Amino acid sequence: MKKIEVSLGTVRDVIGDFYEYKKWHFLTINGLALAENKMEVQWIFSKYEALDESVVYFAQIAYTDVIPSIVDLIPSAIISQRELVDMFGVQVEGSEKGLYLDEDSLQSPLSGCSI
Amino acid sequence: MKQTINIPLGSQHIALLEPVRFKFECENEKIIGVDSDVGFVHRGIERACTTKFKFDSIGYVVARVCGLCAITHSLSYTVAIEKLLGGEISKKAKYLRILLLELDRIHSHMLCLSHTCENAGFEAMFMRIMGDRELVMEIQELLTGNRVQFDYISIGGVNRDLSSTVALKIKENLYEVKQKVLGYMDEFTHNWSLSLKFKGIGALSLDDAYIFNAIGPLARASGLNIDVRNEIDYLPFNEVGFLMQTHSDGDINARNLVRLNEILNSILMCENIINGLPEGEIFTKIKGKPKGEAIVRFEAPRGELMYYVKGNGTAMLDRVRIKTPTFSSIPAFSHIFVGQDYADAPAILASFDPCLSCTAK
Repeated sequence: MKKIEVSLGTVRDVIGDFYEYKKWHFLTINGLALAENKMEVQWIFSKYEALDESVVYFAQIAYTDVIPSIVDLIPSAIISQRELVDMFGVQVEGSEKGLYLDEDSLQSPLSGCSI
Repeated sequence: MKQTINIPLGSQHIALLEPVRFKFECENEKIIGVDSDVGFVHRGIERACTTKFKFDSIGYVVARVCGLCAITHSLSYTVAIEKLLGGEISKKAKYLRILLLELDRIHSHMLCLSHTCENAGFEAMFMRIMGDRELVMEIQELLTGNRVQFDYISIGGVNRDLSSTVALKIKENLYEVKQKVLGYMDEFTHNWSLSLKFKGIGALSLDDAYIFNAIGPLARASGLNIDVRNEIDYLPFNEVGFLMQTHSDGDINARNLVRLNEILNSILMCENIINGLPEGEIFTKIKGKPKGEAIVRFEAPRGELMYYVKGNGTAMLDRVRIKTPTFSSIPAFSHIFVGQDYADAPAILASFDPCLSCTAK
């Protein structure tokens, strides 16, 4: 697993330059609660027909930051973005709440700070 | 003037095995838009894994994510922990892990194919395949002690050895299943209800399979060469006869044929494992507490399953992330529906073999 740090300001450009849709398989977007009301967002890719070769772009952010959408670059990212919104209570551009959690559910269960 | 009408499918529907709701926007009979709600059985398993359970028991917890691919969940998690702890398991344990993984794939594909028959109105074939599936369920129970929740995988190996009596029974039953599947192949190729009716329906092109990151039989039926068994070396799939099965039509019929061919390949792999099972222990003690990050992928019956695990050197983990096949296929599903007749929606949905229990976690 190769990890590469990016900022929210550059993540779209970095992924846009990196992602060749017939070479790289988009796996998912992952969230990870950190201390001091921060979290890590990871965009995970694996290479088609390569032996266990994965690349993870990550950014450490505050929960109040707005995460840029990559759906115009990778259409299948929409579902991972919606999951991130529900599970961590963050804002992702153009991604609605409510994929998993109803309005009366406990909110942001994986954020580590809001239950 | 064209009028659109919204038609819901689910959350409870005769064509659905599990609760999911699709809202189809239709123009006359054609679907022009789709919205989905998949969270009806969300159980908070990822949170439970980091707040309620120690790392050495989570393999049994994540097996409860899904009954149909319980083995793939516990295996993916366990291999992630073994990577973090730096342990190497015996070759025999690796072979036994593949054996159960492939038995699980056989019965899961049979379930999907039987459901496809039900959607085609071919009830007799549905019952025939479900009855034959019991041959696989029986040997799973003999091997592990359970039909569904196997609890067979442990950190360091597997929990039960394979006796010569059970090995013989597995070979006998799989021979019988193989003959049955060859019969299904004839039905799915020549029977109008199961072949012509589904040709050209619910098709996904190869380019769209790439664009929507399709996985599993859905992708392989469109000609996309993606099978995690071909991209990992945690288990020696290449030693036991794994061959990727693909098709180029991308429709319901192609998905059925890919699954049938995968059953035959899985049977071959199981036979090779039993005939060439290495000597040795089935369990290796691996000590320590997991620290660091690991990503592990396995090919579940519905496609790529990914586990991300982060440990901090204590018995409690920082994060367990489960990315399930159906979850990541939802954008591809939605794309396929657009342009199709609403009447075909249940059959198309069944051909995806969706697992909502996995998806909602």
